[in-house]
Amino acid sequence: MPAETTPASDPALDRPMAGVRVVDLSQGISGPYATKWLAALGADVVKVEPPIGDLSRAAGPWPGDVPDPETSGLYLYLNTGKRGLTCNLDTSDGRAIAAALCARADIVVESFPGGYLDERGLGYDRLREDNPAVVMVSVTPFGQSGPYADLPASEITLFALSGQMGVTGDPNRPPLKTGGSQPSYQAGLHAFTATQTAYLGALRQGRGTHLDISAQETFASMLEYYASYSSQGGEEYRGRLGNMISAIWGIYPCIDGYAGMCVLPRNYDRMAAATGIPELSEPPFNDADRRRELDDTLQAILYGWFAGKTRKEVHAVAMEFGFPAGYVATVPDLVESEQLAHRGFLQHDDHPLAGPLDFPAHLWVAPEHGWERGRAPTLGQHNREILVDELGYDLDDLARLRELDAI
Amino acid sequence: MSTAAPKPLAGIRVADLTMMWAGPYAAKLMADYGADVIKIEGPRAWDNIRTLFPPDELTDQWFNSGAYFHEYSRNKRGLSLDLSQPRGRELFGRLVAKCDVLIQNYRADVMDKLGLTESWLRELRPDLVIVGMAGFGKTGPEAASLGYGPIIEQMSGLVSLSGYGDGIPFKTGISYGDPIAGIAAAGAAVTGLIRRERTGRGVTVDLGQREVATTLMGEAFALWSMNQRLQDHVGNRHEWMAPHNAYPCLGEDHWVAIAVGSDAQWRGLVEAMGRPGWALDEAYADQASRWEHRDTLDERVSAWTSGRSKQEVFAACRAAGVPCGPVWKLTELVADEHLNARGFYEPISDPDHASWMVHGWVWRWTDSGPCILAPAPNFGQHTREILTGLLDVDPAELPALAEAEIIAGAPIDPPAVSVV
Repeated sequence: MPAETTPASDPALDRPMAGVRVVDLSQGISGPYATKWLAALGADVVKVEPPIGDLSRAAGPWPGDVPDPETSGLYLYLNTGKRGLTCNLDTSDGRAIAAALCARADIVVESFPGGYLDERGLGYDRLREDNPAVVMVSVTPFGQSGPYADLPASEITLFALSGQMGVTGDPNRPPLKTGGSQPSYQAGLHAFTATQTAYLGALRQGRGTHLDISAQETFASMLEYYASYSSQGGEEYRGRLGNMISAIWGIYPCIDGYAGMCVLPRNYDRMAAATGIPELSEPPFNDADRRRELDDTLQAILYGWFAGKTRKEVHAVAMEFGFPAGYVATVPDLVESEQLAHRGFLQHDDHPLAGPLDFPAHLWVAPEHGWERGRAPTLGQHNREILVDELGYDLDDLARLRELDAI
Repeated sequence: MSTAAPKPLAGIRVADLTMMWAGPYAAKLMADYGADVIKIEGPRAWDNIRTLFPPDELTDQWFNSGAYFHEYSRNKRGLSLDLSQPRGRELFGRLVAKCDVLIQNYRADVMDKLGLTESWLRELRPDLVIVGMAGFGKTGPEAASLGYGPIIEQMSGLVSLSGYGDGIPFKTGISYGDPIAGIAAAGAAVTGLIRRERTGRGVTVDLGQREVATTLMGEAFALWSMNQRLQDHVGNRHEWMAPHNAYPCLGEDHWVAIAVGSDAQWRGLVEAMGRPGWALDEAYADQASRWEHRDTLDERVSAWTSGRSKQEVFAACRAAGVPCGPVWKLTELVADEHLNARGFYEPISDPDHASWMVHGWVWRWTDSGPCILAPAPNFGQHTREILTGLLDVDPAELPALAEAEIIAGAPIDPPAVSVV
């Protein structure tokens, strides 16, 4: 079929998701992160928020540290390019609005506890009666079923229960949660790819599906082979190794911060040459087996080498000699990065309420389709456009719905 | 409906030139969801992951037996083909013409050096979805940087966010950049296929692994944009929740994570702890006050947890509605009650190799049925079936191809086994 299809002449259709209708009922990070990219790929994403707003509006950061639901940095990042609708699913009018939106949707994303939407007549079984091709994506901490399904969760408890926390941090200190909100973002990235995979399946097979994504499972699938290895002998394979897997696979202090190398045996000779330390190119260090026995000695030598370099000098010499090394980049490093600027990676927005913002704006570069760079909606910004222009409510209805706390 | 739904990528064929971690992870996801993924390796240019973590007991077939290799290449078919020889490249071209997706994670310049240029590939298959995933992308002043997952994680900014609070940044315990890039690359391939379904046209994706990782820290960009500040390292603490930490339990290196985000959860924790008198102190009466007194609170919660097993603490918190999770060690993770009840782990086995458990579906869907897993292919295992079945090569030609080392049943002159 693809080869015979007439290429479209409308450049807007070049966006892979142009015209695809997405209803995003999710809150927080995971679901909104996934739908952020659907919007940037051209989909019409309607973000449905309760009248008090998405949780991420209360998360910050804010300009000058002054809390304001319209200037929360987390919200502004995760909801670029979407249209905003307020809708209270605990009112019958709100449920009717959501049902009307879902009836015309290609994709519905949600993050409620299992059963919540079913109780409100918005569950997958109900939606597919009218809309058999709809793809519904549920992303929750533990999935729709099983003994933990109703367990309250937090990022740190999920990180612990997925195995990732147990291998992260210094071996002589407590296990460490990573900074930022990595657990939620990981689930969000999975949700994005899962949504696209299911939507492609629906396009090709003519039937939709309901995806059940458990954050615990998405994290537990990213342990390389360590978990499955542990299942073979019942013996713990790997604890926490901190920043130093071995001397040539670690992070070291340098003049202006931290830098690291991740040298595999085939990269060793080039690394040794790059340091300009002759003994690293000679026995015993140029022999992989003997090197391992002398790891502490090698670490001491490399501590000295890193200590005399700036972060960017380490990366420059690694590029020149062709071995894997880099540095612990900070946000200003990234904002100022020539490489990222060359790639058009950051989106600059002089936001009317939040001031200037620089945000990551693509997952990859594809000249054929590009990425849209919209702004996140204010609370209920598109209520009138969606309810009146598209769903057939009149202006009196809007006032009534507002009074009933339905929108 | 009793029949399992077809897998979403059924009917999609992928030419997989990826090696090591990030690329094979992407191709693994596509294979799990129904794509026919053909893993292509040269007799002298093969996937180093086969030897990076070889099995404990070396066998003659060590290059086929590594658990790591199996984790990343299950459900794929294996084709050996030397792309540096003209006949190998010609056969590869015929394969590309029958594929929907080509994915590779070479350094930025390698495809062009092999003569596998985008324009050549497009001639062979005009609507091909081409996914390249060099560490830093194919263009720009740093395009030549070598980036394995740990380097990607550092260069992305993520490592700068983590630490105990003494200024030292910490990486995760895995090669974090790799699976992250792999998930996004699978998303890129599928997005390209969606576009092809809708427009008839192919797409060329240039994915920089570092950029994907950097998208996972939007709020840190906001903080810098708005207030020119970096995020503090808060260890296992939280900006406003308390108690919120990893607490020691009975036994060596056993910990439990507890996060209290509301007054109701605090009341639950007080119940779980057996209503100790100290917990009724005014200092812990509300969220703001608990956060202010987080140091003493952590000491007292630790005193409670340290006399108990993490399972015991988990059970008490679970009963009281408090967010809690034992910090599972990996042997404990594969025994997790919930993961097992959901059938997350599935057995995988091969007559030639051991039998063990691996994760099955990462995403389940309606009627998905059990996750049927095939072990990773032996080196070049499906070479004959693909060449003669899919590409109409005369079986009589195979010995000559093997003689010329264009195809092979085992890696030629592999280096000594190396363990990191």
